[in-house]
Amino acid sequence: MTKSRVLRGAIAALAATGLVTGAIMAPAKAATRTTVVIVESNAFTSLNPSQADSNLVINSDIAYLTSMGFNYYNDKFQLVRNTKFGTYKIVSQSPFKVEWHINPGRVWSDGTPITAHDLLINQMTASSAYSKAAGLGDPANTDVTPAFNSLGYTGLYDTQVTNVSITPDRLGVVITYKSVNPDYELIGPSVFPVHTLVALAAGEKKLGTPSHNVALKNKFLTAYTTKDTATLKKYGKIWSESYLMTSVDAKTNPLLLVGNGAYQVDSAVKDQRVTLVLNPRYNSGEPTSGITKIVMNTITDGPAGIQALANGEVDVWAGQATADGKAALSKIAGVTVKGYATLSYEHTDVRMGDGPGEKDNYTGIFAPGTTAASQAKAKDLRTAYFLAFPREEIVEKVWKPIGEASAPWDSLNYPPSSPNYAKIIAANGTAMYREGTQASRTADALALVKKYYPTTSAANPTVKLKILWGQPSNTRRISEAAIIKAGLAKAGFDADLTPTTNWSAFISQNKWDAMFGGYGISAVLQKGLTDTWQSGIGQDMGYSNDKVDAAVLALSGAKLSDEKVYANYLTVEKEVYGDAATMNITMWPGVSAAVNTLQNFKPSPLTPEVLWNFWEWKF
Amino acid sequence: MLAYIMRRLGILLVILFGSSFILFNLAAISGDPLADLRISKDPNAKQQMAVLIRDLHLNVPPPIRYFLWLKGILGGLVGNLDFGKARDGQLVSTSIASAIPVTLRLISMATFTAIILGITIGIVTALRQYSRFDYAMTFVSFLLFSLPIFWVAVLLKEFMAIQFNNFLREPTVAPPWLIGLSLFSGIFWSAVIGGTRKRVWIVFGFAASISAALLTFLSLSKWFLNPGFGPITLLLIYIGVAFGVTQLSVGLNSRAALKSSLTMAALGIVFYFPVQKIFMAENKLLFFPLLVLVTIGLAVGVSFIFAKIDRGPTIRTTVISAAIMGLLMIIDKLMHTWKPYMENDAINARPVPTIGQTNALLEPGNYWLSTLDIVMHLILPTIALTAISFAGYIRYSRGTLLEVLNQDYIRTARAKGLTERTVIMRHAFRNTLIPLTTIIVVDIAGIVGGAIITERVFGWRGMGTLFNDAINRFDLNLLMGVFFLTASLAVLANLVADLLYSALDPRIRVNTQ
Repeated sequence: MTKSRVLRGAIAALAATGLVTGAIMAPAKAATRTTVVIVESNAFTSLNPSQADSNLVINSDIAYLTSMGFNYYNDKFQLVRNTKFGTYKIVSQSPFKVEWHINPGRVWSDGTPITAHDLLINQMTASSAYSKAAGLGDPANTDVTPAFNSLGYTGLYDTQVTNVSITPDRLGVVITYKSVNPDYELIGPSVFPVHTLVALAAGEKKLGTPSHNVALKNKFLTAYTTKDTATLKKYGKIWSESYLMTSVDAKTNPLLLVGNGAYQVDSAVKDQRVTLVLNPRYNSGEPTSGITKIVMNTITDGPAGIQALANGEVDVWAGQATADGKAALSKIAGVTVKGYATLSYEHTDVRMGDGPGEKDNYTGIFAPGTTAASQAKAKDLRTAYFLAFPREEIVEKVWKPIGEASAPWDSLNYPPSSPNYAKIIAANGTAMYREGTQASRTADALALVKKYYPTTSAANPTVKLKILWGQPSNTRRISEAAIIKAGLAKAGFDADLTPTTNWSAFISQNKWDAMFGGYGISAVLQKGLTDTWQSGIGQDMGYSNDKVDAAVLALSGAKLSDEKVYANYLTVEKEVYGDAATMNITMWPGVSAAVNTLQNFKPSPLTPEVLWNFWEWKF
Repeated sequence: MLAYIMRRLGILLVILFGSSFILFNLAAISGDPLADLRISKDPNAKQQMAVLIRDLHLNVPPPIRYFLWLKGILGGLVGNLDFGKARDGQLVSTSIASAIPVTLRLISMATFTAIILGITIGIVTALRQYSRFDYAMTFVSFLLFSLPIFWVAVLLKEFMAIQFNNFLREPTVAPPWLIGLSLFSGIFWSAVIGGTRKRVWIVFGFAASISAALLTFLSLSKWFLNPGFGPITLLLIYIGVAFGVTQLSVGLNSRAALKSSLTMAALGIVFYFPVQKIFMAENKLLFFPLLVLVTIGLAVGVSFIFAKIDRGPTIRTTVISAAIMGLLMIIDKLMHTWKPYMENDAINARPVPTIGQTNALLEPGNYWLSTLDIVMHLILPTIALTAISFAGYIRYSRGTLLEVLNQDYIRTARAKGLTERTVIMRHAFRNTLIPLTTIIVVDIAGIVGGAIITERVFGWRGMGTLFNDAINRFDLNLLMGVFFLTASLAVLANLVADLLYSALDPRIRVNTQ
């Protein structure tokens, strides 16, 4: 501790000298700041965000700052390799094997070298097979908690990884995957200081010497290879329970705070804030650019966070975007507001068949029936629904005030910023939703509806339609519902838009004809969002199409060229739009803001949003 | 009496059981704790659902699950109280235990300010019934009462924090503000003091010009950057306090009380500099209580010198004066801390915060800086809460005092030739406090319930936040934990209020049957 303090002092002194020199050269007075205060909407609850209870944004953000792995997402949805930490490459196509290798000389914050031992934690926290084989409990059994109470067991690692072996230099692992996987980069090993697990399980309260820690690592490896149930269970208990904490102070066991990230937790005041300071031994990623301290301040209320930014109490604001919030942020002097499209989006789907696991049958107006005539009727009505859906008005009135760039979105996979977007929307069959004006499209829709319901009219709509949507507390949705009701009425639909709390629980029920709502995305995979349209249990609206299923399968196999990916996406989109199954409304706009003296603030739509390039930050 | 209390406690248990059963089931059927996970694209969603079902017994029907919860509560009888686990994995009891101090700190201050301010204004309005001041205060208090707190909070933050901090960069009071504030002060004081038209104008003129002069002086001397009373101003204020307290407590006719209060004022100034030393002492835990004891001892001693007979009222008066003077000295010290506070890097010349309980960057260690920091963080929420809640106290105390003033014994007191001060302060005011006591007891018990919106907008995470989180996350254990505590305190406070009422008012006896 003293040593690291001396080091920290030395670094601070060095930094101060640098700043003084900088100050002499640059006239700006504000250049002396080295602390960034960030708004977080949750309170800190755990140093281990990989559990169901602790999977909160703030916990994940802290983990992002305190540990570095093989790759990260940048602000353009690209997965970037962290070559400072290590490398990975495919070593065999059949069976599909990837070698993940740590660069020599990487160290934990306590000085212990990072080795292959530290890459084995996923076997316990994400592999059901290992968990069962080692007697740690069957994660699929809901009655018993597995020894490592992790939420990783249903992830890709669990289904894809079949074997893990350590390389001879003990700095890497070779992972064997079940099949060729295009997204293998996302299924790599996480890094975890296993020697601290062993030390904590032995009741140690102080950081050990590197040589002692190497011995602990070997102890861990023995327990891992021999599947020593009793010992592994002890580690599991530590992993599952010891990291749960709401405050950090001098009494906190320093073994819990060991990491390989640029920063380490210095202190945490319950429900208020977490303070992170530089890790003096950090060499697992890009060097930082001058921020010595990051404080995460818990402010749950959105407007309160914005006023705190206006009052100079915080430097970075990120939170749920609202029109009022956007307007308030734009008025603050000295603050940069960044707007961008997130990967989450608003969409409307119609029922195409029976929901999975439902006892009754869907008999509403979109029910396809068994005859060709009834199927044509259902499709015409669905087409009419989408033609009449007042998408432009919704974007204009609800989404533009939050993000000026918001626009109707006509692809199921490519964001509007993608170079393939223009090409795919011209070919995927969505042109009819853009041609003419909303009035002319609604007129077309009314004509289609009148074919089957001649008595209905815009003045007196009689075609009953039940639309599922939720969260009556969400003002955006309330405005949308009102616009939708009025818009559909012009095409002869009498839509029932009574909101439902808990709506998600009803999404597969057959009593709804359509739904609208949001969809959140946290990772970018080769199959994009195509698997949403795969037949089976995930398809709540009862959609099923063999061509789509085949394309999804192709996208889930080997890594494809961009052209091949495009071709498969196009197949899926042509089919899904051709069947009149869905329409996307718009991508959600995201808003973040920071004091404009903070340089390199480039928020990303994916987690960890504003933090992703923290090492580039400086004042 | 004992039988009465036992019977009441029995009824309380039934009420608690019934209400908790109803609330538990209503809350359980009102929402689906797994809603988010059902639509989540997260590959781990199924695992998360399984964990939650396992931990929260979601596979047990709510009426039966209630008894699982009740079992934990009844465990309290054998010293094994168990509120269960909240969804964030924390024990509910831990969350509540850490939320209560936050809430107490946030709301106690505001509640006591509201009580003192409300009762004071209520009494003045009752004495000036149907005057302009009465109407004005009634209007203002109801206006504040009906404002939504989140809006009040946003305005306070904008004008008293952000704008005021901007003002501090160049702390000169602009002429429109100067004129406006002076006029306001004139109108306020002329309304409070009242009297003939001529007197009203004189008071108005005096108050307005004194305010204008004071503001100009403060503005020109950059007082806002380095505030403080200093010994001379403090002496003048002390003398004012001595006269004021004596007049209200025993009347200026009591020369002994006046003399001892004035002596305390003089002593306060004589000891001004030594006390500053003590304020900076290392060992505050030892010196501060000592300081309080010495002050009280001095006050009692001085009273003994001046009062030869009937010492009680004199001692009381002197101690009250001394306490107020001591408080002023602390305020003076905090004002002198303002300059270093503003110059601290963590504060960066923006001393009024909008959010949180303490500054994240302020290094701990300096007692006065930390104290001022806490005070600054309390200011806005306290003003907001006081503003919206003191209307009730004004109305209660005004109504009660008016009713008491119409009683026969007041007429008798006046008829005996007692001074108006004695009639109001001794005969009327004391009896006014009896009904107010019951309201205050219930309100104080309600403090623990927290203030959902205030806590949220000011970023304090107390009981209100817990309750709000519990509802939003369908976190049944947490919700029931908060509910059980606040409900128990509420019913207990009602019992205490009833007992207190009978203790204070001899005309009322609790029903013992």
